Amino acid sequence: MKRLSFVILLFFIACLFAVDVFAAENLELSIPLPLTGAQAKFGEMEKKSYEIAAEEINAKGGIKGRKVVLTFEDSQGKPEISRSIVEKLIDVKKQPVIIGEYSSSSSKAVAAVANERKVPYLVVTGADDSITQQNYKYVFRMNPSNAYYATGLVSFLKEVVKPQSIAILYESSDFGTSGADDMAKQAEKIGMKVLVKEKYEKGAVDFKPILTKVKAERPDMIYMVSYVMDASLLMKQIKELRVDAKLFAGGAAGFAIPEFVDNAKDAAEYVVTATLWCTMAKYPGASEFAEKYKKLYGDYPSYHGAEAYSALYITKDVLERAKSMGPEDIREAMKATNIMTAFGPVKFEDKEGYQNQNFMDTLVLQVINGKHHCIWPEKYASKKYIYPIPVWRERK
Amino acid sequence: MTPVQLEVFLQTLIAGLLLGGLYALIGLGMTLIMGVMKIINLAHGELMMVAMYIAYWMFVLFHIDPYLSVFIATPVLFLLGAAIQKFLINPMLKVESILPENQVILTVGIGMVLANLATLFFKSDYRSTPVDYATSAFYLSDFWKASPIELSLSLPWAVSFIFAVGITIALWFFLARTDTGKSIRATAQDTDAALLMGVNVKMMRVVTFGIGSGLVGAAGCLFLPIYYLFPSLGGQFTLIAFVITILGGLGSTVGAIIGGLILGVFESMTATYIGMGWAPVGRFVVFVACLIFLPGGVASLLKKKRFGK
Repeated sequence: MKRLSFVILLFFIACLFAVDVFAAENLELSIPLPLTGAQAKFGEMEKKSYEIAAEEINAKGGIKGRKVVLTFEDSQGKPEISRSIVEKLIDVKKQPVIIGEYSSSSSKAVAAVANERKVPYLVVTGADDSITQQNYKYVFRMNPSNAYYATGLVSFLKEVVKPQSIAILYESSDFGTSGADDMAKQAEKIGMKVLVKEKYEKGAVDFKPILTKVKAERPDMIYMVSYVMDASLLMKQIKELRVDAKLFAGGAAGFAIPEFVDNAKDAAEYVVTATLWCTMAKYPGASEFAEKYKKLYGDYPSYHGAEAYSALYITKDVLERAKSMGPEDIREAMKATNIMTAFGPVKFEDKEGYQNQNFMDTLVLQVINGKHHCIWPEKYASKKYIYPIPVWRERK
Repeated sequence: MTPVQLEVFLQTLIAGLLLGGLYALIGLGMTLIMGVMKIINLAHGELMMVAMYIAYWMFVLFHIDPYLSVFIATPVLFLLGAAIQKFLINPMLKVESILPENQVILTVGIGMVLANLATLFFKSDYRSTPVDYATSAFYLSDFWKASPIELSLSLPWAVSFIFAVGITIALWFFLARTDTGKSIRATAQDTDAALLMGVNVKMMRVVTFGIGSGLVGAAGCLFLPIYYLFPSLGGQFTLIAFVITILGGLGSTVGAIIGGLILGVFESMTATYIGMGWAPVGRFVVFVACLIFLPGGVASLLKKKRFGK
């Protein structure tokens, strides 16, 4: 026990020491992230992305001439640990602004602490609707709220496809159910009839019975919320049965990653999917960031990486505009944010029950010639969409 | 019945039969082991997973088609199964134990070891063999232009089904016509009598476990082109094999084949007419109903009919 308290004491001394020595010239930011545990994969990706951004910012003279020094605190994906990390950052280290965290539950915990202590917090990836619905004055979110993930797809439907009816297939998890429910609501709002809404157990072998039923109903479009292996099986069996529809659409997740095309092969052609970000999005710096990340770490980052990367640029912009380094001035500067980032346009608005929420257009991808291309909204598109799509019989 | 309804029904039936054929092949191996050893092999699905990894690596490294891997994976799995019986389960038979069923528990352990080894070596990533013919199919309208309905028959599913039928016929021939096959059946019927008749019962157990494993190995290769692969895939197929074994009547090979087909068709019909989320529920309704109303499974029905004649 004695030894433990000694270690803790040493730790605190080290912290104080760190603050005292570097505060003068460096701008030190601690970022809570899940670096171990089940979410570590994403935490790791975000850490790398923050580091790339910090390096770029420092190479161009830092923030207000001060060098950015990032440290990362492992929250293990547990909200209570995130909470205590942030309490320490605010109370002991006196950090004037908090950024970071990955999951919704951890972001929620951090948001509560930050708002209570009156320190602005920029939510990076947490998507749960309620985070920015609680009248938190000090909580800002760059990630679109969960309910708005499919807005891009819906506007594509409204303006281009104009379908009358829809069939929704989804896996029976929280993720699948909420995705399907949101889509059903949106579809009814734009006057589409939901003909079939069916869930399936993840890992099913044979989707043909349910697809046969869908085929008999002749919906204008088929919307699926699945992870990657179910997604490719679904499309393969749709091709086998020649189920024709005006549009096949996926709700992000399994449909938006390259493995989907690798597995479903030619059955994946023309499938569209909603997504928050993609490597060829026409945002300034997006593809540069993606290529840099790939060169350093071997594969492309997902939207989580782009958000982390952009979050540091937002912080830079905010701190440069803030009148002082006091939390109150930073909050005001944050509120006035209107910046284009590699993740897309960021602006914090109060509307539809949300406060300080970034409402951006989500993107739509389409598989064209065996590769995902960004097709919607048109101003960010990297390729013109293909619609109408050919029926199965006429494909080679 | 309108043409559309007819189309839905027939297409569902086709899907059910194709699925049922593959289920039967998975169930056969377990039921064979059950008949001879009087134990349920709960590592069955994991053995299938091993065979799928063999077929997968054959495809990736040497570009051998998964269907050809049947001829590689089946012998390998035979040896693996025989070794499990000889070096793990046979010694277990001699040990006095608190639980009478500790061989069953042993198979659970073997299954866990196999699944975890696979995770260790191959990571828990999903993998699949992107074969060229994965989505090829035959269409009724291609053969009969004026057909009022459209039915499709998937090429890989059909090939897998034909393989399954072929393997089943070969197994039947082996059991009915060869000396070893007859000895296996004798062991299954009455171990003591077989022993008195000079059958090497211990050897037969080793051979049976080998054949059972080989069968599920073949099933794994047939599943690979139409499904995908990950280390913990075994559990769900062990469960299916278990249901089929109970449904077919413990130890009956003919029962397992009929049981597999019934389960396949039942699952497909549930998916079409009730809802796909209900398919796994349907599986256990069949299971429980069978235990309550038909404890001897399909095999007991077959027997009754024979006695009636």
